[in-house]
Amino acid sequence: MDVFPVWLSLRVAALATLLTVVAGVPLAWLLARKHFPGRDLLSALLLIPLVLPPTVLGYYLLTLIGSRGTVGRFLARWDIELAFTWRAAVLAAAVGSFPLLIKTTQSGFEGIDRRLEQAAATLGHSEMSIFWTISLPLAWRAILAGTVLAFCRALGEFGITLMVAGNIPGLTQTLPLAIYDHVQANQLDQANMLSFVSIAIVLFLMVALGRIARLRF
Amino acid sequence: MRLIGLLAVALFALAPPQPGPLTVFAASDLAPAFKQIVPQFEAHTRTRVTLVLGSTGVLAQQIRNGAPADVFFAANDTFINDLAAESLTLGRATLYAQGRIAIVTLTSSTTRIDDLKGLADAQIRRIAIANPQHAPYGLAAKQALDNTGLWRTLEPKLVFGENVQQAVQFVRSGSAQAGIVARSVAGTSDLRWALVDAQLHAPLNQMAVVLARTRQAATALSFIEFVNGTHGRAVMRQFGFLLPGESH
Amino acid sequence: MLSVTVFRKFEDFTLDAAWTSDQPIVALVGPSGSGKTLTLQSIAGLITPDMGRVVAGGRVLFDSAGRKNLKPQERRIGYVFQGYALFPHMTVAKNIAYGVRDRDRSRIDRTTALIERLGLDGLRARYPAELSGGQQQRVALARALATDPDMLLLDEPLSALDAPLRRELAGELGKTLRDLGKIAILVTHDLIEAYRIADTVVLYEKGQTTDAVSKNDLLWNPSSERIARLIGARNVLRAPIAESSDDAIILDWRGGHLMAARSPSHQLHARVHDELAFFVRPEYVRLIRKNRPVTDGLRQTNLFSGEIVGERDEGTTWVLFFRLDRPGTPSQGTYDLEIEIPRLVYERLNISVDRHWEVSIHPGSIQVLPGH
Repeated sequence: MDVFPVWLSLRVAALATLLTVVAGVPLAWLLARKHFPGRDLLSALLLIPLVLPPTVLGYYLLTLIGSRGTVGRFLARWDIELAFTWRAAVLAAAVGSFPLLIKTTQSGFEGIDRRLEQAAATLGHSEMSIFWTISLPLAWRAILAGTVLAFCRALGEFGITLMVAGNIPGLTQTLPLAIYDHVQANQLDQANMLSFVSIAIVLFLMVALGRIARLRF
Repeated sequence: MRLIGLLAVALFALAPPQPGPLTVFAASDLAPAFKQIVPQFEAHTRTRVTLVLGSTGVLAQQIRNGAPADVFFAANDTFINDLAAESLTLGRATLYAQGRIAIVTLTSSTTRIDDLKGLADAQIRRIAIANPQHAPYGLAAKQALDNTGLWRTLEPKLVFGENVQQAVQFVRSGSAQAGIVARSVAGTSDLRWALVDAQLHAPLNQMAVVLARTRQAATALSFIEFVNGTHGRAVMRQFGFLLPGESH
Repeated sequence: MLSVTVFRKFEDFTLDAAWTSDQPIVALVGPSGSGKTLTLQSIAGLITPDMGRVVAGGRVLFDSAGRKNLKPQERRIGYVFQGYALFPHMTVAKNIAYGVRDRDRSRIDRTTALIERLGLDGLRARYPAELSGGQQQRVALARALATDPDMLLLDEPLSALDAPLRRELAGELGKTLRDLGKIAILVTHDLIEAYRIADTVVLYEKGQTTDAVSKNDLLWNPSSERIARLIGARNVLRAPIAESSDDAIILDWRGGHLMAARSPSHQLHARVHDELAFFVRPEYVRLIRKNRPVTDGLRQTNLFSGEIVGERDEGTTWVLFFRLDRPGTPSQGTYDLEIEIPRLVYERLNISVDRHWEVSIHPGSIQVLPGH
């Protein structure tokens, strides 16, 4: 059985989750704490991946990063290929999981008593320092939950990937795409096998995280 | 923290295996046929082929936006003509087959459907076809129903699949009691099929073309010729395709 | 020493506070929602007023006209929040040391001294959740003081504690603040607490303030009828002037005369027949013993007879509602005067049975209130 999809998906999901967390956590903090013009609009925009059908979203992304798209052409000048490569799969997974991470993390930050952050300010700490020493430690559970959600979503990402990375075996065919292929070709045994692997990965992740969560009291 | 960094590097550094040198985008109705033809071609010419299957419309859209296909086998001619008009193709398109649509039911089902009218049977609650918007076989199914005046009565029962493969999967799983799909995907033992009169729909002139962005025009062309050649045609015939220059 | 003017409009509330103080310890007193905490937050720089100026110890912290608005980090203030806002994920030691950035030896030494002085030595490794209310309060104080701020702000520092602890710690807090010698602004809804801890008091009511007055003046010599009501004075009454002389004012009250000694601190520009506000402390209305003849001339002034029409048991004292034997409507609805007597007196005089009495009010006990 071809294990490439398993291996590709792990890589794609891990990288996508990393990107989502690095970009999403600070953004979530901004949304939770700062009032700036266009804040509500931004909040709504971030929910779009949850609202639009994945194939449609994938199509819009394709027009942006494909050979005709603004981003696509820009990157082509530097010989960087995005669409129809594993990088597009990472992008698709990140886009799909971004709203999940943002909303959980934002919620976590909002749940922190403002007075704690105000106290920290009166004690002389800069906003950056307050973020690292107060906000982040107190919201870690929410961030962890968001990260887990993001990873699971990234692992299972299908519709957007199909459009923007293509279902190219050996190149961009992630685990969900491979399962889909097998089902379509009526190869149900292989489909079941791969599904089982997906579930096993998530189970393993859950157990490992449960241990970590308990360790930190 | 460092562990995560190491993992990231590990995942990143190890490159995936290289894809085959020839990328073939093919419509879903060719799935069973090409799964036989491609290995034959690979053996013959000792080139590796990456076969990417999907709905013709979606594939065309991806090609338009830079998909790395060398050659495109569509399920009709319109999508290819569009691509040609945008200068995305190389050389002229080749007619490699004419598709037929067939009504399918499960062998295990008690209802026998021999013609389109039979689909009005009360036992048939749902009929699966490929999406007429972007799948030529779906469009052909719609045309056949239109031309027999059955579209309006049967439309509420229709279920759209992404492509013919998914449509046939609906029938296989029992969620649809019948389907109008490509003859080429109807030939499995668990399905019973009945051909639909070719006059009832616009001909499914399946065209293939080499794409402008290819770096292996010669190999791409030779693949088309292989499909159109003796070996290829033998397989295609097996799956109910009409071949150019041959009558019913 | 301290000059605060802040104005800010909120959705359904307007903060319009202005006061100055030349004493270091100021209490902001008023009911909940009157703008005290908002003022504190404005002084700390946690919220920005629409307009105003805040100067503390000669340093301008905020000036809307001069476009000066120091960030909270720059204001060098220590803030003890209501509820203490201790960092739950840090130990006591880490909490207190949070604001101390330098590797400055003297600062660390001073922090250690602070911890010891506030009795927190054995608690260094504990987490806030494991501490009692009183301990948390001291940690919050230590944390605010550890940075050696120019000024301390305390928002209801004792409200989370139970009554006996409050009384005990009020004295302690007052002493600590005085020993520190820093400017301190304290918010409380309890006037008595303010009296014990602070030097000057600013009264807050619906976002507006009175100027800062010394606590004695406030309690014993309120400057207007409004303030008298704000501090909860009882027996706040009005009556026209019948006669006026250099050392006394005679008021026309309830068909008789009430003589009030003139207060040297309050200038009164009132003429005969003008109506004046005044109040009498319930504790200063004296019940005349029935078996003792009244010989004291002064006791004979402001003598009234009447009946007790209501009473209230306050534990250590009794409050009596006294209605004069005079025709006409009583000054305060069903009664004319509130009288407060110790429990012992109530029992000795058998007041539960004996309801008719004579009372006298010393002219010096009638506080006349100038203006509004």
